Amino acid sequence: MIEIKNVTKKYGETIALNDVSFKINDGEIFAFIGHNGAGKTTLIKSMVGIHDFDMGDIIINGKSIKDDPIACKKDMAFVADNPELYENMKAIDFINFICDMYDVNEDMRNKNIHKYAKLFEIEDNLNDTIDSFSHGMKQKVALIAALVHEPKILVMDEPFVGLDPKAVFDVKKIMNEMVKEGKIVFFSTHILDVAEKLCSKVAIIKEGKLIKTGSMKDIKGDKSLEKVFLDLEG
Amino acid sequence: MKKLLSLVKVSLNHDMNIFKINKKKQGKYSKIILPLCLIAYFMYIIAMYASLMMKNLMTTHLEYTILTIFALGVSMLCLMEGIYKSGTLLFNCKDDNLLMSMPISKRTILFIRMFKFYVFELLYNSLFILPVMLVYAYYMSPEVEYYLVSFVSLLLLPIIPIIISCIIGFIITYLSSHFKGKNIIQTILTIVFIFIFMYFMFRSEMLVSNFISNALSINNYIVKLYYPVGTYILLVNNFDVMTLITYILIHILIIIITLFVLSKIYFKVNSNSKKVIIDNKNKNYIIKTNSKAKAFIKKELNRFFSTPVFITNAGFGLVLFIIGCILFSLKFDMIVTSILEMNSSMTVEKITNQLPVLIFGLVCFGSLMTSITSSMISLEGGKINLLKALPIKPINIILYKVLTSLIIIIPCILIGNIILFIRFNLSFINILLILIATILIPTVTELIGIIINLKYPKIDASNDTEVVKQSMSSFLSTIIGMGLLGITICSLFILLDTGLNNNVIILLFLVIYLIIAFILIYILNKKCDKWFNNIT
Repeated sequence: MIEIKNVTKKYGETIALNDVSFKINDGEIFAFIGHNGAGKTTLIKSMVGIHDFDMGDIIINGKSIKDDPIACKKDMAFVADNPELYENMKAIDFINFICDMYDVNEDMRNKNIHKYAKLFEIEDNLNDTIDSFSHGMKQKVALIAALVHEPKILVMDEPFVGLDPKAVFDVKKIMNEMVKEGKIVFFSTHILDVAEKLCSKVAIIKEGKLIKTGSMKDIKGDKSLEKVFLDLEG
Repeated sequence: MKKLLSLVKVSLNHDMNIFKINKKKQGKYSKIILPLCLIAYFMYIIAMYASLMMKNLMTTHLEYTILTIFALGVSMLCLMEGIYKSGTLLFNCKDDNLLMSMPISKRTILFIRMFKFYVFELLYNSLFILPVMLVYAYYMSPEVEYYLVSFVSLLLLPIIPIIISCIIGFIITYLSSHFKGKNIIQTILTIVFIFIFMYFMFRSEMLVSNFISNALSINNYIVKLYYPVGTYILLVNNFDVMTLITYILIHILIIIITLFVLSKIYFKVNSNSKKVIIDNKNKNYIIKTNSKAKAFIKKELNRFFSTPVFITNAGFGLVLFIIGCILFSLKFDMIVTSILEMNSSMTVEKITNQLPVLIFGLVCFGSLMTSITSSMISLEGGKINLLKALPIKPINIILYKVLTSLIIIIPCILIGNIILFIRFNLSFINILLILIATILIPTVTELIGIIINLKYPKIDASNDTEVVKQSMSSFLSTIIGMGLLGITICSLFILLDTGLNNNVIILLFLVIYLIIAFILIYILNKKCDKWFNNIT
């Protein structure tokens, strides 16, 4: 479970996150939506321990990201919107590196690397250096590196940007499988149709303040998510 | 013209700010006072050296030769550094896509990049040459024309070295882009060009070694050999408006011709430099498990060896150290003769007795002048977020980086040591103490480098050269390394005069460096998490 408790983050005078609180239960796909600059990436980076925050706390499976960041990070995987990978490494070396960092044993990495590389159709490219890859292929490598250690929580910032339709379909399938296993998938997106079809819960953020959160059904009622979002953003 | 000015303004604002350390609000101290103090300190040291030389030259009435030496020196330095900087400053920059997609000519883009290169070299050269020009003016009280000529020369001196290094940069980038391992080829070619240059420099060095005894003829030789320095000295001694105008016009003409010629092939060379040759034959990949430390160090070594400017910057000092050790071994008798000529109180026996301390000094030189860690955090760039999201303590990440740099540095220092141990008959204790120094002093340098880089990271640099050569962190590390080296060498000579035992002197320094290492590790332990997490 993830609990965001009264999180506030300031950049100088600008308030990026203003007293944000919500909860994500195990087995939920949670969409985080908002305009550009609303604070989505700031909250995501705070959750995964990239940014600190000024007030409040984030509890990951009962542990505080402030007090025990290493334990929290072991349970999580993060995929950035623009994956910055070590370009001079071979894709397989990069994935191996991430596995080493998460103490993934040989059996698990053998099983998962083959499984996901085959799924994303980049098995033939794993021996190439990352600088020869397109944006979409880099995103696929980042996804494999995130999934290979079987995280309990998958956090993604705009995960569908740059992916081909087949990969988008596969990512959605993986998300659903993870949720069936009682894991959490939390992601930000601008593609409201996908969020509407895929997610059980949603949070809408505007100028750093959470303006709506709850189950997808409760939030949108009979309307489309797009209509609700545009009305709220006003 | 408006476009060009706007581009110059934007690119200088973005790339040239050596003291732009991170996006967070900086205090007045780190933004203005600290850099100014450092620059003033550095220029003061140069002025002190220049003043000492000036007093010697005044006895033979060859005062103007100080300008010849320093003008030629900065030109050589500019060329040597330019050879390994030009490739990354001109090609494959982060703003390539943006600039190439705009309605700007390739010549303008090339001009902007060369101009950025020029401005940095101008600032860098000024640190060395400006104090010398002022020292000359202080002692000689020249006419007003001297100031005009010196100002013009200050602006013109970097031009030819930059143009030559840009041409070499073009050749290296063009040739290396045809190979699969282009980074390795680029590094090898850069080193080859630097060594060719050093070979010619060494030949002229032999001339300069006779400088004091035959200063006039050497000065005449340099003046004839290198037009910009020659004309500068000619104008200082005998001012003439027409010569000054010709001097300026020739430089402008060289710039125009170079821009015209290089811009014809710039687009092709730049496109080729991005080309990645994929080996489609080998589809088999290996999945293997490593410990966290081994995996991290492997990653860091991969980063180091795939960054030509990083290798040449660190490798240059280390190669020079090994060459120094070889020369020290081969030419020891000549060195002894020179010391005896300079200092009549010295004897051959005394010098031989002090050999372990001299070798210790050499190890200090090799260790304190090479800092790899001062760029390691900055070179992560956007990937710093990837590291932050990993379940590893920041202190471990930092220590793995320090360890990687030691894996690169210590073997090189050891090679130099082994050469010296074979040549000179040192006692077991001497060897042991020097070996401890070989591990301890690079550790101190690398700990200082990583602390400075944690405090002053440059994450959003346009290219690797900016991080390795033009950042606050690398500048500070160099200054601190030079300061420590100066203090160590001066203290060594003072202690040698007291007649203290060699081993006691070395041991004393080892204890001091050990204390410094412990203090640095303590600081890292206390502050590392906070500094690392604050990097944005």
